[in-house]
Amino acid sequence: MASGQQLTRDDVAGIAAYARIALDDAELVEMTAYLNDAIALLQPILEYDLEDIEPTFHPIGDMANVMREDVPVPGLSLEEALANAGSREGRAFRVPAILDDGGGA
Amino acid sequence: MPATLDQLSARQIAAGVASGAFSAVEVAQAALDAIAERDADTQAFLQVSEDLALAAAARVDALRAAGRALPPLAGVPVAFKDNMNLLGTRTTCASHMLERYESPFTATCVQRLLDAGATPLGKLNMDEFAFGSTTDSSAFHPTNNPWGLALVPGGSSGGSAAAVAAGEVTLALGSDTGGSIRQPASLCGVVGMKPTYGVVSRYGVVAFGSSLDQVGPLGRRVEDVALALNALVAGGRDPRDSTSQACEQDFIAHLDDPIEGRHVGIIPSLLEAPGLSAEVRVAMRLAAERLEAQGAHIVEVSLPNMASAIAAYYVIAPCEAFSNLARFDGVRYGYQEPGCATLAKQTSLSRARGFDQEAKRRQMLGAYLLSSGVYEQYYLPAQKVRTLITADYQRAFERVDAILMPTSPTVAWEHGAISDPAALYLADVFTISSNIAGNCAISVPVCLGSESGLPIGAQLQGPSFADARLLTFARALERSCSMEGLVAPGFAGRGGELA
Repeated sequence: MASGQQLTRDDVAGIAAYARIALDDAELVEMTAYLNDAIALLQPILEYDLEDIEPTFHPIGDMANVMREDVPVPGLSLEEALANAGSREGRAFRVPAILDDGGGA
Repeated sequence: MPATLDQLSARQIAAGVASGAFSAVEVAQAALDAIAERDADTQAFLQVSEDLALAAAARVDALRAAGRALPPLAGVPVAFKDNMNLLGTRTTCASHMLERYESPFTATCVQRLLDAGATPLGKLNMDEFAFGSTTDSSAFHPTNNPWGLALVPGGSSGGSAAAVAAGEVTLALGSDTGGSIRQPASLCGVVGMKPTYGVVSRYGVVAFGSSLDQVGPLGRRVEDVALALNALVAGGRDPRDSTSQACEQDFIAHLDDPIEGRHVGIIPSLLEAPGLSAEVRVAMRLAAERLEAQGAHIVEVSLPNMASAIAAYYVIAPCEAFSNLARFDGVRYGYQEPGCATLAKQTSLSRARGFDQEAKRRQMLGAYLLSSGVYEQYYLPAQKVRTLITADYQRAFERVDAILMPTSPTVAWEHGAISDPAALYLADVFTISSNIAGNCAISVPVCLGSESGLPIGAQLQGPSFADARLLTFARALERSCSMEGLVAPGFAGRGGELA
């Protein structure tokens, strides 16, 4: 998917699978058009010669890892942590099978 | 005594509560009355927190009854963009994804206003997850601009700007990732500030673009905004936000300093930008004249890489958004699709049905840009362009104390008038570069457009951590523009009488 090349519907279906967002056929068509328009907007980035330029990942340039003393502090209680879960079972978040076949691994 | 709450500044409200002219509970009740009367038109609120408001106000009144000194925002009505956690409210981000999400704790920015004695009136509408500049992408309902109900208030902090402009609250907090405080402030005729990155803690604010997001205040007066900022930095660095910086500035002390002999930069080429409306161009000339009349030197500067800021932003922001919103998997919180046989299916269907269109678009763009082979092509170069934009600012700020430019290329437009996402992205051209570089910026109402009759804001940008000095220029502009304290016509005085 080099620059100048348009993304296809299949490309976009692959991105949607990676992004974990289920898109139906109509959405895939709309999203393909959107992504190609949006990527066209980004082209000025490609026109720079940036070989000797260092990247800035963060506005606070000289910030290193910010650490604190390793002492326990109060956090959410179990009930608070589980309060917004869609499904729970006892003291845990409840999720469907992890494996595709739903089989017992 | 003034008839309605919307005529009072934050300082006057706090002084009135302290002197006993009225109680904090009376102020809270007046704000609730104003909201009841006005919000049906603006639809700025997603939730009104009446119980929290009355309880907080009663605590302020109890302090006074006990003879204790009152905090600086005692009794001042405030409300919060709905991406900020406040215990006792839901934090929805205007998304079905978080429709039922109960705040498990209170964000530092919210807590600091509460610690300063402010009265929390509730949570304000926004574009879903802050993706947008109209507030039309809220999953619940649009918000209407108080200056014309058929018009957008701007966004993404559109509820914050509309609630302040309509006099429903004295102050509101918004968040600004690419202009989301300043642009709605401009479109609604209020003051809105994006402080320097690191000045205000983001702990408890739902993240969008972590290297860009900054929380800031909106108000009808520069002084109100400065008072809010004082409260936001009181207590110093927040250990719960690793990007929070120690900041001991007093934003009030130098508000009325003269600007005589100071240098304000303008960028002539910006005023020739395509899409810039004639009345905004006129307003910018007016703003420059008003600053010059107070003795400031107007100096031409350039930010040569600013034209590429949009491209850099629409690489960096979607990548960071995709990374941040990956946490919405429908397990620990957020919408969960029922009846799925596998976790993978539950995740992708929960995200498909929980997120609306623009949130999906931004995440898809980010997912693509971070994919193997594409990352090297866009993401890394965008971060290098960020270096160039930051260097442009550093060079400009060696010559000037502030840069004057438009906030938005146009006044407010009608709901649905701009539907092409790329066209909306381009309207962020004046605000985005200071998120890329992290420096401070503020929008101040200058005048009403000669054709539209709608408010136009001028943007002032300052160097990083020179927020107090930026506010001095903002105050100078406000002083000469007779827009101070303005409530949108049709809303002033409707409900909210103080006994």
